[in-house]
Amino acid sequence: MLARHAEDLFWAGRYLERAEDTARLLDVTYHGLLEGGASEAGMAWQEVLDALQLSHLFRARHRHVTAEAVEAFLVLDESHTSSIAASIGRARENGRNVREHLSTELWEALNSTYLELRAEGRAEELAAHPHEFYRRVRSRCQLVAGAAAETMPRLDAWRFLLLGRLVERAEMTCRLLRVRAPRAAGDEHQDEIHYWLVMLNAVSALESYARRFGAEITPTRVLELLVLSPEFPRSVLFCLRAAETQLGALEGGVAAPSVRRALSRMRAELEYQDVAVLLERGAEDALERTRRGIAQIAERIETCFFATGPSPERHVYESI
Amino acid sequence: VGIRVPHGARCLVAGIDLVRDADGTYRVLEDNLRTPSGISYVLENRAALARVMPALSARHRIRPVHHYASSLLASLQSIAPKARGSKPRVVVLTPGIFNSAYFEHAFLARQLGAELVEGRDLVVESHTVYARTTKGLERVDVIYRRVDDAFVDPAVFRPDSVLGVPGLMGALRAGNVGLANSLGCGVADDKAIYPYVPALIRYYLGEEAILSNVDTYLLWEPEQREAALARLHELVVKPVAASGGYGIVMGPQATDEQLEICRKEILADPRAWIAQELVQLSSHPTVIDGRLEPRHIDLRPFVLSGERIEVVPGGLTRVALPRGSFIVNSSQGGGSKDTWVLAEPELH
Repeated sequence: MLARHAEDLFWAGRYLERAEDTARLLDVTYHGLLEGGASEAGMAWQEVLDALQLSHLFRARHRHVTAEAVEAFLVLDESHTSSIAASIGRARENGRNVREHLSTELWEALNSTYLELRAEGRAEELAAHPHEFYRRVRSRCQLVAGAAAETMPRLDAWRFLLLGRLVERAEMTCRLLRVRAPRAAGDEHQDEIHYWLVMLNAVSALESYARRFGAEITPTRVLELLVLSPEFPRSVLFCLRAAETQLGALEGGVAAPSVRRALSRMRAELEYQDVAVLLERGAEDALERTRRGIAQIAERIETCFFATGPSPERHVYESI
Repeated sequence: VGIRVPHGARCLVAGIDLVRDADGTYRVLEDNLRTPSGISYVLENRAALARVMPALSARHRIRPVHHYASSLLASLQSIAPKARGSKPRVVVLTPGIFNSAYFEHAFLARQLGAELVEGRDLVVESHTVYARTTKGLERVDVIYRRVDDAFVDPAVFRPDSVLGVPGLMGALRAGNVGLANSLGCGVADDKAIYPYVPALIRYYLGEEAILSNVDTYLLWEPEQREAALARLHELVVKPVAASGGYGIVMGPQATDEQLEICRKEILADPRAWIAQELVQLSSHPTVIDGRLEPRHIDLRPFVLSGERIEVVPGGLTRVALPRGSFIVNSSQGGGSKDTWVLAEPELH
């Protein structure tokens, strides 16, 4: 397929995932605070910004870290590319560029998600019923993913879309965990446990956790589930395995073998990782290393599949 | 320009605008030989009507139009470089999503099973056209372009064009790629050529045209110009080099001031204009706010040329939606209607 189309699909996948993950994170932060008391409010919202690495961008627009400011910044603010509205807008824009590669059901799901988010009264709705709002963004994104899974043939268009989602999700999970990682090593205070609960909730992992480990929550086990679980679909290892499969099935790609090797090496490293060792050596560093590795793989996917041929500027007219 | 075209098929897709005058005679209003659009409406209107009124469609023997894409693909493949075997790679070249006909470009690409490309997706190396794909550069054999001539190759034509492919002209002249429609088709559908088409048919084919023209004044001929200027308020004045209904002055509906401006423009540059008798376009019952009202229409049938010539049995009927308006162009707010050609009744 055309390199430009592949790139649009890959980024449509990334933006969709970004919108969903951001909605999840905001939802659990908001409700986590309602349950856990408001004393930590400022810190919790600051951690959201840190996790998304958007603190700097936020400071340029808002003076104080409050729930209202962070929500306004991360939901409807389209002056940067990381808000939910901007992400959905870009996913839809990318989808429109490759409309002929999308099934009609997928396109309609994507387009109606976009239109719904642009409808009047969104800001009021967000203020009045944040949970309803976030839940709708989440289920809308799932509808798009479902339409893709059920109607797209397993060809390259599908693979690039899915690769984008998987890469973004793996990176996001690393980011979420990294923010609290410094405090993961030792003590298990009540408020720490509360945070890990929120974290599990953010990625719909609480039930999986309870089934596997019971109700007692420890940072070690949270990390084990969210980084190293081969079964849980939002764990880093799971995403890398799935990405490896999709990358392996893609046709061609000038330097594809070297991208595949890098991904497989990373996956294998996690596969045989012991969570105790990971904590011992410092979870924060390990998570940041993993995150950076994933980002590098995403970049290599771009240069390998999307930047084919000479750059257009280089052409000089050859007379015949 | 030294570009040879297989079986002389330079204009693979033509759309001829027909009108029916007050006597019920069909006349050619204008030719569209560059990048005529509207076929997607023909196909979508037909599909929509079959869904909404299945019983109506079933009662008549309507000749189908849904084979259009396969006919178009056959035409396009027929101009591929000979040495490229039986499965030449066809692409549709669009200016991009901001073009008003982008929907149609994407629609046709989907139906043709062809990639929808923009200029930046194509590269020319050694006079050969390639597409940038995820597997590297892949050769392109035929380009169905929906980009105007002047934008096709910035290395030769407009250097500021970002819609085209630098070096495409070289590839065309080397015979390494087919382009539909050929460059320069716009000369043939220029409104200044239109008045001479019946004479061209007589000269080259030795036949009389089956469909006659609308009576036209050549404003660069002094006598005709005088006659036209005297009756400007009754005539339609069109700029020769424009399309899409832009720049047209409808005499009977124009203000004195507009007519005066028009007169000055004609005198300043007579070659830039033609004047035509106003055709009382036929009207057709049209649903307006839940009621049937008469609205003016014209008809654009499509003609495909390749190894053979095929007139699509159907066409784009365009309708002027404001009451009394004669301007049917979709760019001016016109609508469209499904249009049937009935098959011969079955003989029992």
